Amino acid sequence: MSEQKSNETRQIALQTARSTNQRIDNVVSSSLARFHVSHGVGRMILLTLLAFVIFTIAAPQVFLNPLNLQNIAITSPEIGLLALAVMVALLTGGIDLSVVAIANLTTITISTLYSTIAATDEGLADSLGPVIVLVGFVVGLFGGFINGLLVSKVGITPILATLGTMQIFNGIAIVWTGGETLYGAPAMLNTVGTGAIAGIPLLFVVFIAVAVIIAVIINKTALGSTILLQGANPVAAKFSGIRTTRTLMSTYLISGALAALAGILIISRNPTASADYGSSYVLLVIVIAILGGTNPTGGFGTVLGVVLATLTLQIVSSGFNIVRLSSYEYAIAQGVILIGVMVIDQVTRNRQRSAVLKQRKLKVQLQAKDSNQ
Amino acid sequence: MSNTDSTAPDRSVPVLEARNIVKTYGGVTALKGVSLTLTSGHVHCLAGENGCGKSTLIKIISGAERPDSGEILIDGVSHPFMTPKKAIQLGIQVIYQDFSLFPNLTVAENIVLTSAVAQKRKTFSLAQSRPRAHAIVQELGLTLNLDAYVETLSVADRQLTAICRALINDARVIIMDEPTTALTHTEVDRLFALVRKLQARGVALMFVSHKLEEALSISQDITILRSGDRVSSGSATDFDRRSISRHMTGRDIDESRVINPPQYDERPVLEVHALTRMGEFENITFDLHRGEILGITGLLGSGRSEIAESLFGVLPAESGDTTVNGSKVHIRSIRDAIDAGIGYVPEDRLTQGLFLDKSIADNMIASSLDKYRMKNHLLDNKRIARTISVFFDKLHIKAPNVSAPVRSLSGGNAQRVVLAKWLANQPQILILNGPTVGVDVGSKEEILTLLRAEAAHGMGLIVISDDVPELVSVCNRIIVIQQGRLTSSFTGDEIQVDAIQERMSA
Ligand SMILES: Nc1ncnc2c1ncn2[C@@H]1O[C@H](COP(=O)(O)OP(=O)(O)OP(=O)(O)O)[C@@H](O)[C@H]1O
Ligand SMILES: [Mg+2]
Repeated sequence: MSEQKSNETRQIALQTARSTNQRIDNVVSSSLARFHVSHGVGRMILLTLLAFVIFTIAAPQVFLNPLNLQNIAITSPEIGLLALAVMVALLTGGIDLSVVAIANLTTITISTLYSTIAATDEGLADSLGPVIVLVGFVVGLFGGFINGLLVSKVGITPILATLGTMQIFNGIAIVWTGGETLYGAPAMLNTVGTGAIAGIPLLFVVFIAVAVIIAVIINKTALGSTILLQGANPVAAKFSGIRTTRTLMSTYLISGALAALAGILIISRNPTASADYGSSYVLLVIVIAILGGTNPTGGFGTVLGVVLATLTLQIVSSGFNIVRLSSYEYAIAQGVILIGVMVIDQVTRNRQRSAVLKQRKLKVQLQAKDSNQ
Repeated sequence: MSNTDSTAPDRSVPVLEARNIVKTYGGVTALKGVSLTLTSGHVHCLAGENGCGKSTLIKIISGAERPDSGEILIDGVSHPFMTPKKAIQLGIQVIYQDFSLFPNLTVAENIVLTSAVAQKRKTFSLAQSRPRAHAIVQELGLTLNLDAYVETLSVADRQLTAICRALINDARVIIMDEPTTALTHTEVDRLFALVRKLQARGVALMFVSHKLEEALSISQDITILRSGDRVSSGSATDFDRRSISRHMTGRDIDESRVINPPQYDERPVLEVHALTRMGEFENITFDLHRGEILGITGLLGSGRSEIAESLFGVLPAESGDTTVNGSKVHIRSIRDAIDAGIGYVPEDRLTQGLFLDKSIADNMIASSLDKYRMKNHLLDNKRIARTISVFFDKLHIKAPNVSAPVRSLSGGNAQRVVLAKWLANQPQILILNGPTVGVDVGSKEEILTLLRAEAAHGMGLIVISDDVPELVSVCNRIIVIQQGRLTSSFTGDEIQVDAIQERMSA
């Protein structure tokens, strides 16, 4: 009698243990799942730190020099904004190849306007600074509008539409400048370009502020949600009542605005403008956007990931400079980092899966033993 | 693989045996040691609630998934490392629940493709294979356009293509995971005629369907799963609809007709007058009151889905009037329809209804984002989270949590996510095209109860379905569409399964 009872209690205890086990399992796996979503960010933090540590060890005197760190903080913003511009387009399942061309149009507009006015009255040109910068911004925004029109209204594949506009914008810029470098920019931009708050360059502050705004748009607004859904499944987006045209138009406007801002930062840093500035940036910013965890087919991506990817590549770039490696070697490094991260991603995913499997198998065997007894 | 043709069907030979199959996905145990035997010349019905592990078992048998433990034996030989290719070469053909077709290939190419794999050929020529595809389409008496690209097909035609692909090969084992969800009587009858032929040839078949009558009529053996466990199995003659659903759900299912009277306001919530889209439907006139559930039924290609898509702005009508709450609306796009207060649960949930890689939460809120915009233009995430958890619970979605991607859900649970998306939107008029397709009997009852509750709160609902018993159990009124025309309408006591079915095929 008592033996039966103890058997029963044992049974109950076993069952409770099992269900608790199950519950813990659920919690663990759901938090694992959550980790996986921000996985892109986690790995980028590691990678940024790694790059930092490597060059600190390789050339501590030069690399950790405040001047060098400032330099990184000054060159990152323009590239970061361009990468964010590409990322926003990638989120909808598109791409924007024209971002660098748009940035150059903005710088050229600003420089031309300034020097034309300054030729007669320099004081007036400087006091009109805000207006001139605004006009430059609007020109960039207009470039984004053209992209949006072609993609959303006309329905041209984004890669082709923006390849076309990239050529057009570039062509316009070359014809306009005659291939020469233009000099001159409003004095206010110089303040932005050289200023600092608590030792942090103003350019970098602007970059972070804009990144935060983009993150808020993507994660906290209806527009952001529709951008992500549009990229995840355009047909289902349509059937859910998402206004495809409006969403895509907004996307390319944002992308154009970011490119224009990048242009403003470029000319703030150095009061010149030319049609072929940053010709190697197009591929670089795509690499950064994808390295930052943006899904190239759309629907997924984080601003933080892209910001960190920007920093990583800038750290590597400056580090290469310090240890006297050429820009060609830097190009190789970009490719290696991108592919390396993708490979590690794939391997860890497989390893995780098989680890879970092994654990399960063990558990099932134990359970089988339990039930045999 | 065709040597079985000569041997007489031996009733006792197990062609395929699954032993103690265990499969887990993260925290979810999909199968907890399931065994099952397929015999030559028998149809084996696999039944169970949504998410109980049916498709998982099938994917393991076909090598698409690897089990955690357990083994698959074919002709008594264990195959520990099954792959889809090997399964096809061993003569196992599967009609997957999501069809697994190539959208960028034509119907004919899709139909013959796996047979090239089965014959271990490295290349295959369409010219040579087209006649074979044609033959199977003929044998099933179908009107499938062999040269159409699969991405352009309706769900029903895609399903028929998947069926043809499985049947064209000299398979020894044919597994059908809900092959009839989009089909009506006629096609199902033809499919079953062919199944019987295959049976006589000694093929072993497995059949999964939530249409229990259908499953019972074709099967000899039954296995019932519940939460990954086998709870019952035996000869089909020992089961009936009622006992199967009791084994599946652990309770008795009430499928009786329960309806509430609509609110007869001054004007109906929806009035459709002489709606026409040439070649699809003509002169369709009906109205819908608040709190009313209107059923629309008809054969495949009758135009019933097109009417719904036209009201939702997918295929705008060419002429006719639509009036919502007494004021005329012009529906030229989906957005127009939604702004007019119309929602639509589409038939094709995989491409039109769901964002498969997005979470359950993201999917549920997709059509109501505008409703959660605060004054400062940000989304009210607290309210969103509340809505999501309400519908997650209300629809009993089987998933670890709302951040699980929809791709990891079973078919029936994915259907609930689409429903939740539109219930969360709270439109005045909700059109549902096949709302319980692929949903198990128990949940079907729950979903119908939910629809009744929405009606009681004043929503006007249109349910399009060829599941006449379902319509009978929930609709105040049923209209029948034949060749694009509204040919009859049933109300009150006229609503009887037999009468309607007779009228449909008349
Ligand atoms: N890839 C996956 N990742 C995580 N969980 C999964 C995955 N595939 C299936 N599952 C889970 O496994 C369980 C069994 O799913 P399965 O698709 O086999 O159900 P089913 O019996 O076919 O249901 P239905 O009748 O709805 O089609 C479900 O709880 C489902 O959520
Ligand atoms: Mg299934």
